[in-house]
Amino acid sequence: MSEPREHGATAASSLSTSSPSTPGTPAPAGPARAGARGAMGESLLEVRGLQKHFPLTQGIVFKRTIGHVRAVDGVDLTLRRGETVGLVGESGCGKSTVSKLIVALERPTAGSILYKGKDVARMGGRALKAYRREVQIIFQDPYASLNPRMTVGDIVAEGWAVHDDVAPRKGRLKRTQELLDRVGLNPDYVNRYPHQFSGGQRQRIGIARALALQPEVIVCDEPVSALDVSVQAQVVNLLEDLQDEFGLSYLFIAHDLSVVRHISDRVAVMYLGSIVEEGTDEQVYASPSHPYTQALLSSVPLHEPHLRGQKDRILLQGDVPSPADPPSGCRFRTRCWKAQDVCAQEAPALVDRGQGHPSACHFAEARMVVPVDVE
Amino acid sequence: MTNLDLTKPTAELAAQGTPLLEVDDLRVEFRTRSGVVKAVNGVSYSLGAGETLAILGESGSGKSVSAQAIMGILETPPAVISGGGIWFQGRNVLEMSAEDQRRIRGPGISMIFQDALSSLNPVYSVGFQIGEMFRAHRGMSRKAARAKAVELMDRVRIPAAARRVDDYPHQFSGGMRQRVMIAMAIALDPRILIADEPTTALDVTVQAQVMDLLKDLQQETGMGLILITHDLGVVNEVADDVAVMYAGEIVERGTVDDVFSRPSHPYTDGLMSSVPQVEAKGGRLRPIVGQPPNLADIPSGCPFHPRCSHRRLGAEAAPGRECSTDVPPLRLVVPGREAACHYSEEVLGVRAP
Ligand SMILES: Nc1ncnc2c1ncn2[C@@H]1O[C@H](COP(=O)(O)OP(=O)(O)OP(=O)(O)O)[C@@H](O)[C@H]1O
Ligand SMILES: Nc1ncnc2c1ncn2[C@@H]1O[C@H](COP(=O)(O)OP(=O)(O)OP(=O)(O)O)[C@@H](O)[C@H]1O
Ligand code: SF4
Ligand code: SF4
Ligand SMILES: [Mg+2]
Ligand SMILES: [Mg+2]
Repeated sequence: MSEPREHGATAASSLSTSSPSTPGTPAPAGPARAGARGAMGESLLEVRGLQKHFPLTQGIVFKRTIGHVRAVDGVDLTLRRGETVGLVGESGCGKSTVSKLIVALERPTAGSILYKGKDVARMGGRALKAYRREVQIIFQDPYASLNPRMTVGDIVAEGWAVHDDVAPRKGRLKRTQELLDRVGLNPDYVNRYPHQFSGGQRQRIGIARALALQPEVIVCDEPVSALDVSVQAQVVNLLEDLQDEFGLSYLFIAHDLSVVRHISDRVAVMYLGSIVEEGTDEQVYASPSHPYTQALLSSVPLHEPHLRGQKDRILLQGDVPSPADPPSGCRFRTRCWKAQDVCAQEAPALVDRGQGHPSACHFAEARMVVPVDVE
Repeated sequence: MTNLDLTKPTAELAAQGTPLLEVDDLRVEFRTRSGVVKAVNGVSYSLGAGETLAILGESGSGKSVSAQAIMGILETPPAVISGGGIWFQGRNVLEMSAEDQRRIRGPGISMIFQDALSSLNPVYSVGFQIGEMFRAHRGMSRKAARAKAVELMDRVRIPAAARRVDDYPHQFSGGMRQRVMIAMAIALDPRILIADEPTTALDVTVQAQVMDLLKDLQQETGMGLILITHDLGVVNEVADDVAVMYAGEIVERGTVDDVFSRPSHPYTDGLMSSVPQVEAKGGRLRPIVGQPPNLADIPSGCPFHPRCSHRRLGAEAAPGRECSTDVPPLRLVVPGREAACHYSEEVLGVRAP
């Protein structure tokens, strides 16, 4: 059960009132979080058969292509209005590439991304400009993604130069400071430069920059990994408030499975370029049915001293295969303790195999790996 | 004359009672145009061979800056080490020649940096950068160094190491670059490894492998490990002792079991209450109220007082323990536990002495 939450008082009053062009339809002002209830709006973003293959080259001057890194290899995802979809998985499995494809920073090798029913690849001038404002990204790397020569204030306000209808010229400094305050940074810091901030502080600058454009969708690529747990809780609460207030949708990528569970309505688990299991947070966490999901959940370190060593960790054998040369059939088979001959021959489709949610395993079977409601 | 003892077994040093590392009342500030930023304000700890000390704390509280001071890689200016000392195997690093300091870096003290991408040079292949450690410190040939690089990449579980050794940093995912950094840091079997957020960019299965790897190394070589992280789960599973930092100071210290089960500083208590659980979805998260302090203008008295629910101000306070004026020193609260709070006994729920 989600608790009733105060509206208005904790929500971004500055974000809601100072602009005449509040994006999207505001979420109904119900007492509980719409997202957590599962009553989601229409589908906003639809990703179908998405692929991204990077050429592998050899030679310094005359580059020869000797193969391809299949970073993303057939991903389907749906994001509805007001919903949070969590995306978790092995490092290097293609999560950031999916993010960059969604915000049109990379071009897909194959597949399509539909936003409000329109194919992003076919969008021209105006539609693309609107898309670039409405769909924002918070980057994984808070060090590389901020221009070292710009002040924090300029970084946050940068998008307004292109999308100048979002914030009236006059009140921009004040808005910038309000945004800094919202993400837990001291508003007095507007004139500082990125190198004067710690890793976690920089991550919050990136969050403020994304919020500045009043987006409808935010692709959050590890937005809280660099933060201490208290600031993390502040940012998560902030994201939830903004969602309640404006019906924002999030694709939320993180390695911290507890945070993902907390914030997500649905969770997708990725391995080597494709999604292997998908369901509500309850389905995926309480009855994971793909062996990789089980291994992942079993490795979550618990912070309670009395639970140390209580969980049976499933140790994965072998190495992560290279995405340049993925195994035939099921991509997880080289490390799977349940693999049979069929696994090498047939790639398992991502379908419901009697678990109530889809799993890409020929022998899907629910297994509880996380202790439930331990106290 | 150098006397760095990088050859003496750590066990021998331990027998002499010399800790690997002692940090005493370390202070670092940044002199900027907009004022003096007091990033580290009197941090002390010691680390013995084979020990693991976790440093936890507020984002922006001086964890990385204090680590950089120990590594001798702070940019001065704008940073200034304004007080204290750092002893490596009994010798004050701050008083060593630049040459000696450089010799310690790598085989003596080594560090895994928080920012994996910007610490790697984009114009050299990762294999070349890992190999550089062996060429510079061990005088290895290019070919031998490259072979060592592949071996290390294997060790940190980078798939198809032999094929990817010539790839450039941008061709690796965030997590993979982090593993490259780890490979470089452990290349020379350091005495002390400072790991600044070593696993934040990694998924939990690889994280577990990396922590196992670090533990194995520690067992083999008696390496001391300073683990800076925000992940309470990782701290709980690997560290013996933990120090919690706030506003450039250590505010609580003790064994992980004690500190995590029963915090005695309100900041630590607030951290513990902020954590979401993997076992259940849970209700709204409960962060500590208020904003982290501006280190150019640290609150008087206890730096945590503007956000503290246990604070006592004015007439409510016991003499000499007014939270907004009296600075609480780091003191022994119960055996094995220190905290910098006037009212730790109350937080712990034990009677004041
Ligand atoms: N520009 C590129 N050229 C070649 N390969 C690339 C490029 N960008 C990414 N890759 C490769 O694509 C794969 C997916 O990378 P991506 O960054 O999407 O992973 P990720 O899931 O976000 O990982 P992490 O959790 O570590 O951030 C990796 O194997 C990576 O090495
Ligand atoms: N060049 C600089 N000029 C001014 N202030 C700086 C500079 N570098 C760092 N600081 C400040 O010093 C403080 C300590 O930074 P540090 O990087 O040590 O934090 P941290 O504890 O490692 O945080 P995080 O957990 O977010 O990485 C921060 O408040 C930061 O703003
Ligand atoms: S399909 Fe086969 S190899 Fe793949 S996860 Fe299922 S059992 Fe394992
Ligand atoms: S000294 Fe006072 S303000 Fe500081 S933590 Fe203790 S009770 Fe809170
Ligand atoms: Mg990534
Ligand atoms: Mg840091």
